[in-house]
Amino acid sequence: MIRRRWSASEADEWTKEDWIAILLSPLCYVLITIGAALAILLQVSGYIMLAVGIAMTVFLHLVIDPKLKAISNEYETKQQDYLRELEAKVRWESIDQKAS
Amino acid sequence: MSVTFTFLDWLWVGLFLLLMVGSGILFYRLGKRSESDFFLAGRGLPWWLPASSVYATHTATDTPMWITGVIYKNGMAGIWYTFFCGWAAISAFVSTRIFRRSLAYTQAEWNVVRFTGLGSELLRGWMAGWQFFMNMFVLGWVGIAMGRVCEYLFAWPTWIGLIVFSLVCAIYVLAAGYWGVVMADFQQGVIAFLVIIIVSVWGIHTAGGPNGILEKLEVLGELDRINPFAFTGWWSGDFPIAWFITMMLIAFLGGFGMGTTIDWYVEAQRIQSAKTVRDASYSIWWGTILGLVRNSVWAVAILAFFVLFPGITEQSEYEMGWFRLGFDYLPAGMLGFFFAAILAIHLSTISSHLNLGALYATRDLYQHYVNPQASQKRLVQVGRISTGILLLGSFFYGLIMEDITSWLIFALWIMAAGIWLPNILQVVWWRFNAWGYLSSWIANLGFSWLVVWILPELNLIPHLLDYQQFWILMILGAMVYFPVTLLTKSEPMDHLVHYYVMSRPIGWWGPVRREAMRRGLILVNGETALGAEEASRPADTYPNTP
Repeated sequence: MIRRRWSASEADEWTKEDWIAILLSPLCYVLITIGAALAILLQVSGYIMLAVGIAMTVFLHLVIDPKLKAISNEYETKQQDYLRELEAKVRWESIDQKAS
Repeated sequence: MSVTFTFLDWLWVGLFLLLMVGSGILFYRLGKRSESDFFLAGRGLPWWLPASSVYATHTATDTPMWITGVIYKNGMAGIWYTFFCGWAAISAFVSTRIFRRSLAYTQAEWNVVRFTGLGSELLRGWMAGWQFFMNMFVLGWVGIAMGRVCEYLFAWPTWIGLIVFSLVCAIYVLAAGYWGVVMADFQQGVIAFLVIIIVSVWGIHTAGGPNGILEKLEVLGELDRINPFAFTGWWSGDFPIAWFITMMLIAFLGGFGMGTTIDWYVEAQRIQSAKTVRDASYSIWWGTILGLVRNSVWAVAILAFFVLFPGITEQSEYEMGWFRLGFDYLPAGMLGFFFAAILAIHLSTISSHLNLGALYATRDLYQHYVNPQASQKRLVQVGRISTGILLLGSFFYGLIMEDITSWLIFALWIMAAGIWLPNILQVVWWRFNAWGYLSSWIANLGFSWLVVWILPELNLIPHLLDYQQFWILMILGAMVYFPVTLLTKSEPMDHLVHYYVMSRPIGWWGPVRREAMRRGLILVNGETALGAEEASRPADTYPNTP
């Protein structure tokens, strides 16, 4: 059900795991916020919403975390090169080189 | 009202301020090492530190006033107003991820990563200048809110609260830069969250506990106030369903873009300070949910205030409701602790905007346009000078703020309406270019003037409701930036491919993706290229590709 292993190239793609996170995440926010307020007011609907919101949050993280780890690990290997390019850009070096 | 502090109360305040300034001294050496350290803490923070900063920064002095206002007026349904931060739900897994991979220091810098040429430079310069101004504006706005709290509590002139505490904050921001900001934010976030819980629980208890609140609401004939879905109809009233739907769409779908709310610019700095893409995602997600849970607690405390003091009609009076719960009902000796927490709330916002405004001035204006070869030492110096200029400017804005509140509302409308969709398109659509984006900003500036102020004043159109203004501005803007985008060339394919490989954006990037695969720059299922027919298709056959 939940994919735990990702290769670098697979993790870079937008897959169904991302869409599960995109769809569930706003629901988690709504259920936890409204559920917490109503639960403090001792409303049964509040307890239910809060419990569903927490369960959904756990599931969301179980689904997306392995993928985020893989993306991060893969990206770390390239980050220094990209940073060098960014510093060249802020100093106009890449543009100067092209012009010359 | 006027509050009298005991020695113990002042001791709490003194200890707290000492702790904050101490953070600056403690992290002084780290902050001065480089531009990256002064503004991004060296891009090495675990997720929970920027998360606490997200939470602390967005708990400002005016936040409890504003939330008290909407809950007192609308009951629990008012909590939907606080979902303007809901963009983080989707952003944490979409635009946060894409922005972190761009490595841009600021949203202004991101423009030259995503776009290229003169258009991108114009966007960078405009956005940097505008953000420097907006941060000064927000500092003045939040500063004067603190001035009013001090006036309310101690009968001090408003300028004392505005200037004194911002000056204390400036000490650790000037000394340690973002290191000082984020470390102080962590402490301030913990203190503020604890005190918000304590004061709110105290207020709820004073009103008779949850059951007492419900009983009193029933007696007042106001039991519907606990219903979060108690709207005033589909299209009319103070809070129609049409406005609710508009707000939720703006908030949540905004997470696909960058800059769809004014908060994005602050979070962008937190995103880049996180040590990995994963840390960036979690910092945004968890920092925001913490703020929303805080709003839940506040909402119930405000219902407690409502049953204790029903029928207040003056907005400026009921907006102080949560502060009154603390100062009217907490025991002696705890008042100073409460005030220290208010200071924590205040300083966390001030420090973030001081450092953020200075980042735009240093990185995007000074380094990029004035002195590209500046040394790291010089850049840190400029960061400190910019911080000082922002501080002085904020005092000026704060002192004239009463006269320009309507300007501020206008400025926030500019952010939300006509450029909301372009802020998403720049992330999800490869064909959207710098000229389209720039034209959307210019068009929105003109249209929002016309729709919000000029045409209603001339009686050419009626004064429109908020949701009507939003949708009209969005449609009018689209009539400008879509044609501009399609009538000008797309960004060069080389640039787009480089950006795509680095950031891996979501959405409609098909031609760029195919070109990246054709060049063997990305792998899909272990393959570097498409089928022979697709791979042999030259890049210049794509529409509008130079």
